[in-house]
Amino acid sequence: MAIYSQILANGLMLGALYACLAVGFSLVWGVLNVINMLHGSFIILGGYLTYFAWHSWGIHPVVMLPVVGAFMFALGYALQKTVINRVVSAPVLTTLTLTFGLDMILYNVMTYWFTATPRRVQLDLGSVSLGPVTLPVDRLVGTGLALVLTLMLYLVMRGSNIGRAIVAVRMDRSAAELMGIRTERIYAITFGIGALMAGVAGVVFASVFPITTNVTGTYLGKAFVVCVVGGLGSVPGALVGGLVLGLVESLAGHWFGPQQAITAGFVLMLVILLTRPTGLVGVRGYE
Amino acid sequence: MFERDSRRTSSPRRSGLLAAALLAALAGTAAAPALAQETIKIGAPLALTGGLADEGHKQDLVWKMWVEKVNAAGGLKVGDKTMKVELIEYDYQSEGQRASQLAEKLINDDKVQFLFAPFGSGHTKIVGGVGERYQVPTIACVASSESVFDQSLKHLFGTLSPNGGMTTAMVKMFKEKFPDTKTIAVLGRDDVFPKSMAEGIAKAAEAQGLTVAYKELYPVGTMDHAAALSSIKAAKPDWIYITGYTQDLILARKQMQDLGVTAPIVTMVTGPSYKEYTEGLGKLANGITSSSWWHHATNYTGQGVWPATADFYKDFQAKTNGADPDYVHGSCAAAGEVIADALARTGSLDKAKLRDAIAATDIQTFYGPIKFGPTGMNLPRELPIIQVQDETIKVLAPADIKNADLIAMPK
Repeated sequence: MAIYSQILANGLMLGALYACLAVGFSLVWGVLNVINMLHGSFIILGGYLTYFAWHSWGIHPVVMLPVVGAFMFALGYALQKTVINRVVSAPVLTTLTLTFGLDMILYNVMTYWFTATPRRVQLDLGSVSLGPVTLPVDRLVGTGLALVLTLMLYLVMRGSNIGRAIVAVRMDRSAAELMGIRTERIYAITFGIGALMAGVAGVVFASVFPITTNVTGTYLGKAFVVCVVGGLGSVPGALVGGLVLGLVESLAGHWFGPQQAITAGFVLMLVILLTRPTGLVGVRGYE
Repeated sequence: MFERDSRRTSSPRRSGLLAAALLAALAGTAAAPALAQETIKIGAPLALTGGLADEGHKQDLVWKMWVEKVNAAGGLKVGDKTMKVELIEYDYQSEGQRASQLAEKLINDDKVQFLFAPFGSGHTKIVGGVGERYQVPTIACVASSESVFDQSLKHLFGTLSPNGGMTTAMVKMFKEKFPDTKTIAVLGRDDVFPKSMAEGIAKAAEAQGLTVAYKELYPVGTMDHAAALSSIKAAKPDWIYITGYTQDLILARKQMQDLGVTAPIVTMVTGPSYKEYTEGLGKLANGITSSSWWHHATNYTGQGVWPATADFYKDFQAKTNGADPDYVHGSCAAAGEVIADALARTGSLDKAKLRDAIAATDIQTFYGPIKFGPTGMNLPRELPIIQVQDETIKVLAPADIKNADLIAMPK
């Protein structure tokens, strides 16, 4: 029984980290209908900024949270405003190809500058024990951050003018323009928020996972699965998708061996696509 | 109509240009064989960008060091001539398919006489296959899986010894030092080299009376080892053995600490062989054991541009501002000596003769002895067993280069 408590706890914490990495991807995909292939590299860029600030100047990752967030927002905003907005109304394959190309540039520039050597912020915050269950503190922080990010996004989307404008643009771009909403600016802000969330996830990941450009594709793949499982068009989609994926992988890893854990995640994605194409909590019309 | 006529007409000026171009082309073809005979061309598809960029740069560094040193001394002996060496490299961006295309380009367009295979058993297999098709001798310096060399590729030769040499001796030594070792848990990455090591250690452990309490593989792209480590914790093994690449092993060690998973002996292959591993883990690396194909503490002597290990070490440190070389550097630098030796013995650039000469290689180098077995792999020898102690690498075996004793994992 003790082992199952631990497996469940592992799954929930891993799931929260998955949610953390997918929440920005889900927003950009849901609102802009852009599958942002840069997302994995954005997370790693956030991780590198955190690592080098810690390694070179001893700056604690918590201090870097707002700094990385602001930098990534500016980067995302500028990219959307100057490059992606030019093709944002084109079919999804065009934007996918564009972000794929941008990702290759960012990925190779990072590999050139930082090399592919895995780096890690050696905070090693230790663990807390709850009876038979061991909970690593850094993963608990990641879990908390996933909840906070989701809640903040929910509040922004529901309670602010920007949020309402984003929702309006997603529902009907032409009508939103007629109401005086500057859609290109809203697109840039949305992409900026997506990049910010990726960067902030990178800050947490820098002390949980080794930071290397080798894993950008893995992160992107996970974000994709989380979005399909959780569903697009609803803020808690990434959280639900992440938690379910984390639990399924953790249980499958225990029952069928770690070799089958990732397979189980993809099987789950296929089952959801067949039975519930909108995802577990997604909104019809966003898939 | 007018247009067609005008095209047919050629002005005296154009004829002159054409004649000049033809002459230049003829001169070029006439000069080409003479030029080709002046240099020995070695082609290398390298992972200079992408996921394997770090490893690719290691190969690039030592091959350039070797070529520089050879050319500074006048070149390589081929019969009664001395010929300069030219290294032609292309970045295959860590993508296997591109490595194969570039190997073909090196053979067909650049007319290389030899190929250096890239990092890892998987990509070596690909480039080795191309070399075989065109009958170009290919030297692999970072492939140790027998599954690469048992494909009857007659032109592929590897300077690393078979993986098997890293398992049996390790089980024997650890059992001697820690006689209470009865059970082992094995977790391996499902990839050519890490998988063969995981299977190899389980077989060697069972053969020497240990019980394999856990044995699983994890797929490429695994972001989390918590489920596997929780199962290992429940099995309470005396020895935990994990294989993978540096990022997998850093994550596994970190999660072992987080989840309180430990054992008197923890081995990670080939983690501590790379300085990136110990730097990424800091104190958490202490106590981790591993095995390697070469260590700079060895004291081999032999032929080539570096007569002794110490000479190579000195040059390497000078080139890298004091960094220590690892087995990738050692093995790849020695790969050049295989070519040098074959050229000196055959005195010819005939590929078939060179292939036979390489197969008959039996030399001593700064890296150790190189003598290829029937499959083209360097013959087994006693390989170093290492442990991280106080964040530095200590050698536990073989006895002649040992500088520390095995210690239990810190609690």
